[in-house]
Amino acid sequence: MAKRDIKKALRDFWYGKPHSAEEGGRRLGDLHEDKTHLYKHREWRGVKDTMYYFYMIWLYNYIFMVKDVMVMGGLLNFAKGVWRYRWVGQTYLPVLHWFDRGPEGMRGEAMKASAWHYRAMVSTTIRQFQRMFAADTRLHGGKQNELYKHTIAHNETVWGGVFYPWDGEITNVPLEMIPYFVTCHVNSHTVLNYIDAVQSIGLPGDPCPMCQAEAGIFVLDDVPDYAPAVVTCNEACDASVSTSTLQDWFFDKPLFSLPMAMQFDDPLVKKYCAREIEELWKFVEQQYGIPFSWDRLVRKLELQNELQRFEWEKWEVDVKTSYYPINGVAQALYRIYQTQYGDWEIWHVTDRKVRRIMEKCVRKKINTFPQTRHRVIAWSCAPLYYSNWCTWAYNCWGLNVVINMDSLMFDMEIRTDSYEHALEDMAQYHLWAPMRRMAVGGMKHMFELWEYMEKFNCDMVAMYDQLQCKGVQGLHGLFEDEFRDRNIKAFWIPHALPDSRTVSRAEIRSLINDYMTTVMHEEPLDPSLLDFDDSMTW
Amino acid sequence: MCKFGKFLLKFCGVLLLANAALFCVFFFDLDGKLLFRVVEPFLKNHYDKMERKDTLKAPYEIDKFPEYSYDS
Repeated sequence: MAKRDIKKALRDFWYGKPHSAEEGGRRLGDLHEDKTHLYKHREWRGVKDTMYYFYMIWLYNYIFMVKDVMVMGGLLNFAKGVWRYRWVGQTYLPVLHWFDRGPEGMRGEAMKASAWHYRAMVSTTIRQFQRMFAADTRLHGGKQNELYKHTIAHNETVWGGVFYPWDGEITNVPLEMIPYFVTCHVNSHTVLNYIDAVQSIGLPGDPCPMCQAEAGIFVLDDVPDYAPAVVTCNEACDASVSTSTLQDWFFDKPLFSLPMAMQFDDPLVKKYCAREIEELWKFVEQQYGIPFSWDRLVRKLELQNELQRFEWEKWEVDVKTSYYPINGVAQALYRIYQTQYGDWEIWHVTDRKVRRIMEKCVRKKINTFPQTRHRVIAWSCAPLYYSNWCTWAYNCWGLNVVINMDSLMFDMEIRTDSYEHALEDMAQYHLWAPMRRMAVGGMKHMFELWEYMEKFNCDMVAMYDQLQCKGVQGLHGLFEDEFRDRNIKAFWIPHALPDSRTVSRAEIRSLINDYMTTVMHEEPLDPSLLDFDDSMTW
Repeated sequence: MCKFGKFLLKFCGVLLLANAALFCVFFFDLDGKLLFRVVEPFLKNHYDKMERKDTLKAPYEIDKFPEYSYDS
């Protein structure tokens, strides 16, 4: 072996192989088996980063997942839940492979900060399903225990913050966030059972597959009975109303329907929405016999504002520098999870850790994504089964998704100086719900894209196209016209939200490849990632 | 060598071996392969065979709970 080869082998061992093909690249695509996309072996990222990944991500998270399960409800409840409910057993055991997909190929601080976001989401997920199982009458011989009596169920599209006045007294657990939403990201196979179930009873297959899946969980009798009352919401669309009807039928509990107004940006609508939130509070008081607490509400809102302020600090770094250490998928998922679920301790712990990493990056001027060729903004609703497409896009093409629509929706603090102000801002927050403000919330909000594109210094748009969302479908042409008029580089990502059978991951990659070669005339950074078969992967 | 020294040596040896074994599991993705090829098919089989209530047979009692009225 030539001396130069030995030197290169030693350098690759110590620092990991370089990213691009020109530098004798790492060829990430070769690490995977065909179809299953399981690793032949995990990536060698150099001594320091491989050891960090092994100890502080892989081993740390396995250990802390067990610890979380033990502390939040116990191993017995977990085992019973796994045996009874498909969505937990089939989905959450391979969670470390969800980690692998998110920061794949990342190095140093970007790998660390992104993985901490995943850790927070896993812990919050465990918290929710363990609460479901600990309170579940089905797992406890039909008995309604104390936890059951102090838990409230609600649609995942109801912001958890509306329950802040009962913090510490009543725990709110969304009905679908864990059985449906998070499962699609971790193991995309699970949700297909629920989509098929709802179509098997004669419902049409063309409405939003999110609503189909949410209803399908009930059709398959796969919902824990963990709360005496439920709050539903028509957000995001009329398909959600149908889901709520089925939930009312199958869940068979006192139900409060928290409406989401179809109108937008109208002061009267905000007033109406504020009144509905007050009605919800009255409903909770009646059902649980526990009074509304203003002090608790203020305390939690202020904690939530703290999270928002840190998010703004992060955006400052993201906008002005190349030192931002969070990759596209971690940014998107963490932010939407945090803002929709509401305040919770782990978000603060994570933010403190990420702050330290980010400050180090700024202090030492660490270029966290050194192969960035384009700064991309992702707009509209993402494919849940391929939320990590942006990790692939960076590794293959140098497309760095620096911000996305879901992160920008709840761009506000909530005033706590008076009851009226708090309520008004809470109504605003509720109205700026996921899949609402910038997805079907009117032209003004849809086209906030241009403003944010400029703010975040983006030169390219990744435009999601949810094929079964009638609202967004109607706007496809308008966006095409605007892209042309404004001379904006944009590519489309068609998908069917949770259903990986409609547009496969390979098709998504192929569309981006076509755009990058035929329109941009660029060469891939890592050609091994251009075309591969991952049709059977989680 | 004193007893404590021997114990310490053994302890470090076991720790090192455990560490090496875990690293092999991690590096060769043995956890993923086990979960994909054994655990998931086993659990899927279990869930597929599970007897489930026919939820469609449940009556939809929309008048079961008292009517809710808004404060004027």
